[in-house]
Amino acid sequence: MKTTREQLLATLACGVVLAAAPWLLSDFLLALALSCLMYAALALSWAMFCGPTNYLSLATSAFFGLGAYVTAWSLGTLPYGAAVLAGGLAGSAFAALIGAGVLHLRGAYFAVITFGLGELALHSITYTEKTYFHTAGRIIGDPPENAVIYWTVLALALAAAATAILVRSSRLGTALRGIGSDEERAQTLGVATRRVKVLAFSASAFFPGALGAAMAVRWTYIEPLSVFNPFIGFQTVLIAMLGGAQTLLGPIVSAVFFTLVSEFLRLRFPYVFLILLGLLLIVLILYLPGGLASLLQRRFWRAGAR
Amino acid sequence: MPGMTRSKALLAALLAVLAWPAAAQDKPITIGYAIARTGPWAPGAQVTQEPNYIMWAEQVNAAGGLAVGGGKKRKVELVGVDDRSTMETVVRTYEKLMTSDKVDLILPPWGTGANFAVMPLAQKHGYPMLSPTATGRKLVGMKNPYFFALLQQPDRMMDALAEFMVARKVRTAAVIHVDELFGLEQFTALEASMNAKGIRILEVKSYPLGVKDLSPVLKAMAAKSPDAFIALSHPPDTFLSTGTAKAIGFNPALFYAAVGTAFPVYRDKMTPATVEGVMGLGTWNPKTSPAAKAYFDAHVARWKKEPDRWASAHAWAGLQILQKAVEKAGLDRKKIRDYIASAEHDTVIGKIRFKGSENVSTPGVVSQWQSGEFEVVWPPDRATSPALHPKPRWN
Amino acid sequence: MGFWLELAASGLITGGIYAVVAIGLNLQYGLMRIMNISHGEFLMLGAYLTWLAHTTFGVNPFALMPLVALALFALGLVVYRLCFQRIARTAPAVEVIEARSLLVGFGLMFLVQNAVYLAWGADLRGYSYLVEPVEIAGARFQANRLAVFGFAVAASLALLALLRWTMLGKAVRAMMQSPAGAQLVGIDTRTLHPVVFGAGLALAGVAGGLLSMVYEISPSMGEPYTVTALIVITLGGLGSALGSLLGGFILGLVEAFGMHFTSPSLKMVLSYGVLVAVLLARPKGLFSR
Repeated sequence: MKTTREQLLATLACGVVLAAAPWLLSDFLLALALSCLMYAALALSWAMFCGPTNYLSLATSAFFGLGAYVTAWSLGTLPYGAAVLAGGLAGSAFAALIGAGVLHLRGAYFAVITFGLGELALHSITYTEKTYFHTAGRIIGDPPENAVIYWTVLALALAAAATAILVRSSRLGTALRGIGSDEERAQTLGVATRRVKVLAFSASAFFPGALGAAMAVRWTYIEPLSVFNPFIGFQTVLIAMLGGAQTLLGPIVSAVFFTLVSEFLRLRFPYVFLILLGLLLIVLILYLPGGLASLLQRRFWRAGAR
Repeated sequence: MPGMTRSKALLAALLAVLAWPAAAQDKPITIGYAIARTGPWAPGAQVTQEPNYIMWAEQVNAAGGLAVGGGKKRKVELVGVDDRSTMETVVRTYEKLMTSDKVDLILPPWGTGANFAVMPLAQKHGYPMLSPTATGRKLVGMKNPYFFALLQQPDRMMDALAEFMVARKVRTAAVIHVDELFGLEQFTALEASMNAKGIRILEVKSYPLGVKDLSPVLKAMAAKSPDAFIALSHPPDTFLSTGTAKAIGFNPALFYAAVGTAFPVYRDKMTPATVEGVMGLGTWNPKTSPAAKAYFDAHVARWKKEPDRWASAHAWAGLQILQKAVEKAGLDRKKIRDYIASAEHDTVIGKIRFKGSENVSTPGVVSQWQSGEFEVVWPPDRATSPALHPKPRWN
Repeated sequence: MGFWLELAASGLITGGIYAVVAIGLNLQYGLMRIMNISHGEFLMLGAYLTWLAHTTFGVNPFALMPLVALALFALGLVVYRLCFQRIARTAPAVEVIEARSLLVGFGLMFLVQNAVYLAWGADLRGYSYLVEPVEIAGARFQANRLAVFGFAVAASLALLALLRWTMLGKAVRAMMQSPAGAQLVGIDTRTLHPVVFGAGLALAGVAGGLLSMVYEISPSMGEPYTVTALIVITLGGLGSALGSLLGGFILGLVEAFGMHFTSPSLKMVLSYGVLVAVLLARPKGLFSR
């Protein structure tokens, strides 16, 4: 699969096949598929920005939680689809706002700051809700059907994949890779690095925002502590890096693999599954440093990813 | 040849018919649940809820099983999974239990949030839930016919506290509460009760979960010399408030901390001398009734640790109700639901009757640590000991 | 005036605890770029070991600190050898070491936390030690908090002194400044790396042991401290041990005064606000070189 066109068509084809799931799978398997798609979308959108630029962003939890709250606030007045879009836009807006202030940091500094954003958002929302609305959480009254939620998340995953494909082969993608390898050099070559970074960071934040908005309806009751869960951010980074953040297929395969393996371990070994998961993770990173993508590349085609 | 085949078929059918009741007899009743074994909900869930689930199933099986519909006894098989204190995992697990595994019955997860998430599923698939660790007006206000909250609502518990304060002529109070649904609802209820009874709130401060130092807050409150200090707190802040108050020499006549005071570890970590006189949310102790003592002893024998004096007994009561329901109504879940909703139940914490989702029988209770036991001190007709008021000074 | 002193003292005491937790992580990151996100789990182990030894044998928790330090140092050597050494050897670039050690850290986090859940259950545990109030200049403090503060500051200063004035310390600082240069002058990085890693875990364990005297313990108590440690070392500057000490105090003071003037609910907002502000002005932290 070399050309952009072929990749986009392949994505579409997968989408058509996966859309049949609500008629073929049980509620539980559908929920599992939902989880796979969600993490695939999160990992793809994370890798879209952080892959080429080598930034370590832990802001996914912040965008996700924000999106969930957009649904909590607006689902009565807006239809589900609109709430999901609004969640995505909220994520992008928040990313653009903070991006301007933090994207000059690197490495651990950037990671810590982005982690803090989730905490910041959590406590700000808690304070606002408590002081101005005298409430601590919100109830989602009329959630849509499971199938609708699934198709929404599927659509988001396909959009994330399509965006990732398009960005990779565009000038934006080249600019990002340039920034990742040598930012100063990119600047001397005429790249408006600050603008490029904020744009890409903001665009990639649309997906966690939209996903948070989409998934929140499954939980009936939304409160800051449960939707601003830092674990979502950790797991996204884990999955993307395990799969290979510079590749397209890596995050997707890794998301499916990780979700299915964790669920299998959780159900099969109810008391020790986290120990097994931890061991598995350590072994994978130590002995498969290129990520799962390197396994694929060795097996199926030569390293020809652009 | 046709004749031989027909006899073989008849023989097979005969064997099947003979074997069938035996197979049905051995099939256990599956009861599924997701509970927090790891994550932030785990400390509460592993003290109050899961130990009771497991102990109940063991006791039932030791007696031969549950008499389904009053008839043949069938053993109980628990299917319990870790929900990792994550909402999505809770939802997904119950979807599996109810639709794929098609378990006979379910038991609820821990905490108000997780119960909110399971309620729509319970209604959709028709599984009644008796919940011992979920509370709040919002929950009851969902009017879910398959959901039953065993804990007393915040207004009951706070009313009981306010009544006690009136009886002991407490006029002023300083209140802190945690920034979270529980803290907020309890405070709203407390404020309403105290205003109605003319008790003045001198100061209110709220704080986030995970706060590590409350000394400036408590010092400011101590300076106002309130008759009562009330912390609507979770276990970590309960421990923190108690230690801090003792350290700064804050000795109000009434010291109340909501959640955590009922846990045995509170007495064990802070020492019985320190907790002497501290009040909190409670409902029972081994002296409440012979049935309560039997439950307490069984728990200690099985788990080598005491149950807590608040919701552990509610968890046990819920299991007792479920057992009776299965004995009366069999495994028809709609019938079980109707039975739970309409009957008056005899449980380890007394009689329980539901109005909608709310337990309207168990009154609000105030308990107080005295000589190493969390005594029930209010209302007077349920008290296991008279109240110590004022609280003995720490220093 | 007394009230402000008390407020400042509260902030400094909390800050001292933050500092000792952060210094261990700073050693590992500053020297080896190992982002040990499981740092807090070893703090938790130190807390459990102290609690176990104290409640079983009745030994004074302070006397247990050297034992806890030794135990976690040894554990650190093993963990480094099994988990991180390979990354340091095979990674092509420093960012890669950071990224991979982060992921290994996650694995360790799951492993250690769950092992403790299995061993001692999820219930809260605790004991009380030195809870009597102590009066200094008219202000009252819990004796154990003061003791923890004293111990934390002493440990931090001892470490700073070690780094500044001993040969070992100079070698470590040389390695932090320039790994290649250090090797050129004959410093044995291969031995020093596991030793420093072990020292980092030992500090975490001691911090945990000290904390167990004041707060209740549970298997998930470590994570918030990892987060705080990361904030402190970012604030103070990565690789600067003095920065961690001062950064811890600053954070403690900001929280104490901030909570008083605004509301305890805004504690986290303030902490992060300060961090963002500092990093805007000085992107490498307050005391970085």
